[in-house]
Amino acid sequence: MELQEKLTALQTAYNGIYWFVLFILALMLFACLIRAVKGPRIADRIVAVNMMGTMVMVIIAVMSLLLDESYLVDICLIYAMVSFLAVVVLAKVYMGIYEEKRHEIHDRDDVKETGDGK
Amino acid sequence: MQVLEWVRFIVGAGMLLCGLGIFLIEVYGVFHLDYVLNRMHAAAMGDTLGISFSLIGLMIFCGLNFTTLKLALIVIFFWFASPVCSHMLSRLEVTTNENLKEHCVIYDDLEQLEDELKNIKSEKEPLDEASEGRQL
Repeated sequence: MELQEKLTALQTAYNGIYWFVLFILALMLFACLIRAVKGPRIADRIVAVNMMGTMVMVIIAVMSLLLDESYLVDICLIYAMVSFLAVVVLAKVYMGIYEEKRHEIHDRDDVKETGDGK
Repeated sequence: MQVLEWVRFIVGAGMLLCGLGIFLIEVYGVFHLDYVLNRMHAAAMGDTLGISFSLIGLMIFCGLNFTTLKLALIVIFFWFASPVCSHMLSRLEVTTNENLKEHCVIYDDLEQLEDELKNIKSEKEPLDEASEGRQL
């Protein structure tokens, strides 16, 4: 009887720490979201999204232990790979957009200069 | 055995709370610092140290099975992925920001930097000798 009570105490302790961690991480996730909305530059936003990805991964890992579903850890692993890919692709895409815009401005200036010359 | 279970819980919870603290410092740093290249520093800390602390805590909770192995795999993957992410983002920032010189010092070629470093060294050396003399 006494053993059973102590076991339930341990289980409540486990549940308590899981819910506490989930709660704090959810609050920090909102803080990261604010950072992503506020960030003046694109790199700021990507950094904030990367941070959010990390926190969501910890949340998924905690949930897998809380719900006792080990397949959630696989989802966590795939999430890590997808968020890494997202950051690399976004950085490359924005560099490409910047180069394109710069070339456009360059071409327009060239056209203007030749037009003035004529 | 009951005591051992509690010890495991306390060690794991300590690790998990350490990870949470690192995440808190990360969020504080991201709001406190005022430029992307500085903020990246705080963000990378959470990506490596924060997630490894939290997942090591979860590994201790989990015991020895395949879930632990997968969690370790996530940590190792992040150690490789996070520096690459930071490198890509800083390259993006340096190529796209046209007035970068407002935020940090940029040397046009390597010789300028070497000259600067030599100047700093020559300023420092007499100080070092003086301190050594004091010690002797």
